[in-house]
Amino acid sequence: MSADTFDIQAVSPMKEGPAERKGNAVANVERSEFVLEVNNFSVDYGVGENMVRAVNDVTLHLRRSKVLGVAGESGSGKSTLVYAMTRLLRAPGVISGGSVTLNFTSRDDEKEFTTLNLVTASEKELRKIRWSHVSIVLQSALSALNPVLRVGREFDEVLKTHRPDMSKAQRRARAVELLTMVGLNDDRLARYPHELSGGQRQRIMIALALALDPDLVIMDEPTTALDVVTQREIISELHDLRSRFGFALIFITHDLSLLVELADEIVVMYAGEIVERAGASELYEAPRHPYTLGLLNSFPPLHGPRRELSGIPGSPPDLSDLPAGCNFYPRCPFAMSRCENEAPALTAIENSDRSVACWLHSSDSSVPVPVELSRTVNPARNPVTTLKERP
Amino acid sequence: MSEAVLSPAQLSARHLTRHFTTRVPGRFLTAKRVVRAVDDVSLDLFEGRVTAVVGESGSGKSVLARMLARIVTPTSGELVLEGSPIPVRSKRTLDYAAKVQLVLQDPYASINPVHRIRHSLERPLLIHGANKGEVETLAKAALSRVSLDPPERFVDRYPHELSGGQLQRVSIARALCVKPDVLLADEPISMLDVSVRLGILNLLRGLCDDERLAILYITHDIASARYIADETIVMYAGQIVERSRGTALVDEPTHPYTQLLISSVPDPSDPTSQDPQKREHATFEVANVGCRFAPRCPFAMDVCRTDDPPDFIVGEDHTSHCWLHASEPEAAVEVAPPKRRREGEPTKA
Repeated sequence: MSADTFDIQAVSPMKEGPAERKGNAVANVERSEFVLEVNNFSVDYGVGENMVRAVNDVTLHLRRSKVLGVAGESGSGKSTLVYAMTRLLRAPGVISGGSVTLNFTSRDDEKEFTTLNLVTASEKELRKIRWSHVSIVLQSALSALNPVLRVGREFDEVLKTHRPDMSKAQRRARAVELLTMVGLNDDRLARYPHELSGGQRQRIMIALALALDPDLVIMDEPTTALDVVTQREIISELHDLRSRFGFALIFITHDLSLLVELADEIVVMYAGEIVERAGASELYEAPRHPYTLGLLNSFPPLHGPRRELSGIPGSPPDLSDLPAGCNFYPRCPFAMSRCENEAPALTAIENSDRSVACWLHSSDSSVPVPVELSRTVNPARNPVTTLKERP
Repeated sequence: MSEAVLSPAQLSARHLTRHFTTRVPGRFLTAKRVVRAVDDVSLDLFEGRVTAVVGESGSGKSVLARMLARIVTPTSGELVLEGSPIPVRSKRTLDYAAKVQLVLQDPYASINPVHRIRHSLERPLLIHGANKGEVETLAKAALSRVSLDPPERFVDRYPHELSGGQLQRVSIARALCVKPDVLLADEPISMLDVSVRLGILNLLRGLCDDERLAILYITHDIASARYIADETIVMYAGQIVERSRGTALVDEPTHPYTQLLISSVPDPSDPTSQDPQKREHATFEVANVGCRFAPRCPFAMDVCRTDDPPDFIVGEDHTSHCWLHASEPEAAVEVAPPKRRREGEPTKA
């Protein structure tokens, strides 16, 4: 998939003149509208013959204070993408190409905007931006929290490391403030993780992620281990927090309907590549890629007649043995002969700000687009936009 | 679905109750606190029918499944298997295990990782008295029943070589090996990937329709219950709060807790599904007196805080454990049935 077909609205403009280099970070640049820019990013597991490409040439841009949803099955590379992006990926994972640029306001001087290429950044530079500018919430809060430390210690350590000038009392006050923010009582600070319920632990993780007021929060399936009621509570909590603090959010999940409610924009990943990118409501109402349609049809509906659903036939592809053409070809109900040998690139759809990697939507395609994949968005019955009245 | 009423239940639970005692350390003394994990639950599993039990974590649905499988001993109540009552305090017998099988949530944890799939399937067969010569054929037949074709490709694999969906099929195959009449499935799809969930649900539905198994399907996802179940039961804090045949419960929920469950399912097609008002959360506060849901209930009335409601009939084969459905709430208090007969009865009219 080539990146020039992807519509990049703007490349972060670097101001001429006073911009100064500090290692990999370039300080004092013009403020970019994007908080994160990922270009042609690829990640491999292993090297040499047994190498498997888990993320292939991914390009995405995240604006400030926006929510980007990443959806896909297990093994689609969505977690690998964010781990590699934040340089948390361990061997045998290797970043094999591309760049990840984080644009943030330096803490030393409030007015100084800095860009940092996370791929080439040193450990020292990463340590500075982790948690204070980029924080991450993992799926399993139980394994993310230290089981032998009281919750309060976790808060204390973060603040102690990144805000050395805070006094003990100030740190405690901040921890209480953070817990109140996520709807927990401050007596939880004295608890051990095992004394809390799954939902409470996940709230603690969210509070910890927000402790230093980051520009970007990444959440990797934060609600998958929780039941629906708790999930709903956490999601509405997130809505609140985002409107108050305005951090940008990358939310990874396999639950597309959840993303439609939460995200501004959604990318759907399959076999390490982005196959569709669209606004949340457009994606839900008018999916363009057969895989997106399959994902949407994998959830039994709450309304309407009961009928047998089939979801997506077959199983996710083996990354070490991908088909020659489109990766989704073997499972695709609309596959054509062309799909077998030629891989479609992620291409912008005319007159819209969405893109799809599917030959059905190619301009030189002679095959009519199936009715399921050519629905139009009806703005009148579009509940999603009304829910997104955020600053 | 109506013909199923005529045949007797394969497995019935009568007033099944399980209390756990925990110790709460105080400053001077350790107090005992009783957690009523399952309280007076009655249900029937019929052949060729899927009964779904829905509730959030901590509602007691897994303890219920384990009691039905006789892994957990009930505090009181009784089990009736094919018409004959089973003394609850006795140990689980091989006969019982051959009739009632349990499938667990996490296939990675429930299948021994150091043995081939063959071992996991043949072991129950040998324990249940199959001949050494025929176990292989039976094991392969079980794999075919769960659509793992061809079985030869799977019997000699190790669990780590299979995907989550395939492993869950193996664990269903293992349960089916001994030809049970009742299959208890405890959250069989919640650990699986979206694209394979429907496959497992369709498999369970198929086993129920084609092989007349009685299936208990436990889940927190009310949409999946609506998809496969003939009868749906909603549990809250150990009690059945609403039950109905067909999809009535999801289409016209009458208990505030069922309504909460339904509104929690992400549903972008319904603009009202996302209410912006902040919810009271999530200490899972359970009232000791009165209705257990009252502390979280948006409609709680005075009577809810003092008296546990009986089951009110709100429709055909549809009952709701909520005072809102009393014709005259004040009068209903006086005629509320005694505790023992409180629930379950009207559904089996």
